Amino acid sequence: MEMKSNTSGKSRQDHEKKDLIIAVAGNPNAGKSTLINAIAGSRLHVGNWPGVTVEKRSASFEFKGRQITLVDLPGTYSLSPYTQEEVIARDYLVTQKPDVIINVVDATNLERNLYFTMQLLELNIPLVMALNMHDEALQKGLIIDTEKISAMLGCTVVPTVATRRDGLDRLLEQAVSFATDPENHTAGHVSYGEDIEKAVATILSELPAYSSVPHTRWLALKLLEADVQVMQASGISVNAPFLGKATRHLRAAHGEDLEALMADTRYALAAGLTREALQKPQKRKRELTERIDAVVLNRYLGIPVFLVAMWLIFKLTFDIAGPFTDWLDGVVAGPLTRWTSTLMALVAAPDWTISLVTEGIIGGVGAVLVFLPPIFAMMFFITLLEASGYMARAAFVMDRVMHAIGLHGKSFIPLLLGFGCNVPAVYATRTLENPRDKALTALLIPLMSCGARLPVYVVFTGVFFAAYAGTVLWSLYILGIALAVAVGWLFKKTLFRGESPAFIMELPPYRMPTMKNLMIHTWEKGKHYLIKAGTWILAISVFVWFGLNMPWGVESKKDSYLGIASQTIAPVFAPLGFGTWEAAASLLTGIVAKEIVVSTMGQVYIPETEEEENQEAPTVGEEIKEIGVSFIGAFGNAAKNVFSTVGVATMSAEEDEETAGLRSVIAKAFTPLSAYAFMAFVLLYLPCFIVLVAMRHEFGSWKWAGVTIAYQTALAWTVAFVIYQGGRIIGLG
Amino acid sequence: MTLADLKPGQCGIITKINVSGALKRRLMDMGVVSGTTVRVEKVAPLGDPMEVHIKSYQLSLRRGEADKIDVEAA
Repeated sequence: MEMKSNTSGKSRQDHEKKDLIIAVAGNPNAGKSTLINAIAGSRLHVGNWPGVTVEKRSASFEFKGRQITLVDLPGTYSLSPYTQEEVIARDYLVTQKPDVIINVVDATNLERNLYFTMQLLELNIPLVMALNMHDEALQKGLIIDTEKISAMLGCTVVPTVATRRDGLDRLLEQAVSFATDPENHTAGHVSYGEDIEKAVATILSELPAYSSVPHTRWLALKLLEADVQVMQASGISVNAPFLGKATRHLRAAHGEDLEALMADTRYALAAGLTREALQKPQKRKRELTERIDAVVLNRYLGIPVFLVAMWLIFKLTFDIAGPFTDWLDGVVAGPLTRWTSTLMALVAAPDWTISLVTEGIIGGVGAVLVFLPPIFAMMFFITLLEASGYMARAAFVMDRVMHAIGLHGKSFIPLLLGFGCNVPAVYATRTLENPRDKALTALLIPLMSCGARLPVYVVFTGVFFAAYAGTVLWSLYILGIALAVAVGWLFKKTLFRGESPAFIMELPPYRMPTMKNLMIHTWEKGKHYLIKAGTWILAISVFVWFGLNMPWGVESKKDSYLGIASQTIAPVFAPLGFGTWEAAASLLTGIVAKEIVVSTMGQVYIPETEEEENQEAPTVGEEIKEIGVSFIGAFGNAAKNVFSTVGVATMSAEEDEETAGLRSVIAKAFTPLSAYAFMAFVLLYLPCFIVLVAMRHEFGSWKWAGVTIAYQTALAWTVAFVIYQGGRIIGLG
Repeated sequence: MTLADLKPGQCGIITKINVSGALKRRLMDMGVVSGTTVRVEKVAPLGDPMEVHIKSYQLSLRRGEADKIDVEAA
């Protein structure tokens, strides 16, 4: 975005209908994103703020002949220099100087929202207040005198109900007229009292000698507060004599902590204004939120309710996504692949290019697409939890447990989703605001045994531990959880040293989310995944194809690049009990997706049997019909899954005829001890590359993906070593 | 007496916040400023964190943090 100069020329050129930049700022839970969605809708552009992983939403559109750019600032409670979101918001406001700020205020929570408004007014940018959720306030019997707020703060106040689009046109009109008509622009400052104003005046008069930065009231206030970020940027020392002189009286009268004095002053003003402008009902009704919380946060019911909610989220995410995943997989692997190879054969393309296109490229597209349904479903439910207000309650109930292992209450949901599939789980870490909590949670997700690892366990437990398969299966899940606790503790002491971030969180009132909001957020996430992660996944998929199939025409997989690599690394696995090239090859391909470990074993252990499909190939017409029918079927299955609670889609592994041959080979190649070590290794070694790409996408760099690769490889080897060698010592092998 | 000493249903008036830096600013930004009345609403099922009513909204914080906030009987 280009820099705007607000200081000169503006008033003269206003009638030329110049482009306007409107910044939208407000507290979390004030309905800011609903308001933006309602105004901008499909014109929303979602990206990231430069250098950080915080989402940046903006939209450009025409309004009354003017080009408007709407920029959504991160929802914050303040403009302090401490959190990522706050720094982004204030940096934008100070350096980009938007033409006008729309301050979204929750009408049901006036005082705390006005505290933030006070800070926005310090910036001396025209401000229009959207008094949002006005209907809810009325319902509660709150009467707000908007004229009074307007008069006291020098800004226009527009009551809005963003969920119903009420007042939004007027809001935009007011914002535009406020930004363009300097006569109308009365946004003076709110007086902070004689003592502070005197100190500000002194600082402003002395500033030019000390710094070349624009000396605004905002800067003076920040210098007074000894704001760490402003001090650094302006190069003015906390000990600068003029600051000492300016604040001497303040310190004497109000104590040394001027930052606290400023917060107290702003809150006192916000409280005063609230008293003046807000009329509360005589008798307070017991609100819906309180009644729900009496159950949801109840001492005895709180945890059962939480567990049921989590179970539902997990089931619904993966059961709804499951049929669509199968459908996409079927279409890509079936008709799409067949049509492409037929077409390519028609133009006499060489065999290897057919293989590259169908297995490498189309296979890669399939790998990208199959994760789309669970990502959509996950995002839908996460947004639902957040928008309804339950997310904060889930964190409240679970924080004690998660805090014990250095995590945040909100870490629970991403970790839980990890048991279904690690990919959407990594994306679900976005509910965590603090970068430290977010990274630590993402690092532990791969230790949650995902659905794709189950087929491996099923084959091996079936062969070696048939009598107590359930116990062995559970032991692996428990092993992953136990190691997550240990690794979490270790990371807390090393990579994430220092105090864990505090848990100071609003429990917002329960609200009914709107379908439009849910859809917009869900769609955005899926679209981003397709574009950002999809490219990487496709590229890696092609790379893997080369490893598997080159040099072209090799008789056995053993002679492919993959086979050669497997033979090279096989000795590393010898101390773990499975130092064969076949085991190494299946582990290597497992990086594509862990369930592939089984199918690779099928290919490398059992010499390829040429089987020609004798079935008559279906016609294109039949296939298209079948795609349509199965797509409708997927809806049916998804709906059925929602209602049936029995069929755990992700947890069932198909036991088919094909694996029978494999089972007998595995029985000879492994011992029970080495089989268990192998399963532990499959559980713990680096996650499939899609998870790594998701981490890179969500964190904006390969850093945490790199840490994951390193620590998981070390962990898997060590644990498998201890199991195998330990088992031999006590005589199990 | 600190905020952590209050039982659900009890009120107190904040007198002092015994932390500094980012944590103090965060608490103040959320309305935990001297002279404000807080009411403890609930304690989480596992004993921590706690939910308080302040500035007409619900805030949750851990006992560790609540213990740093001095209150006097309201």
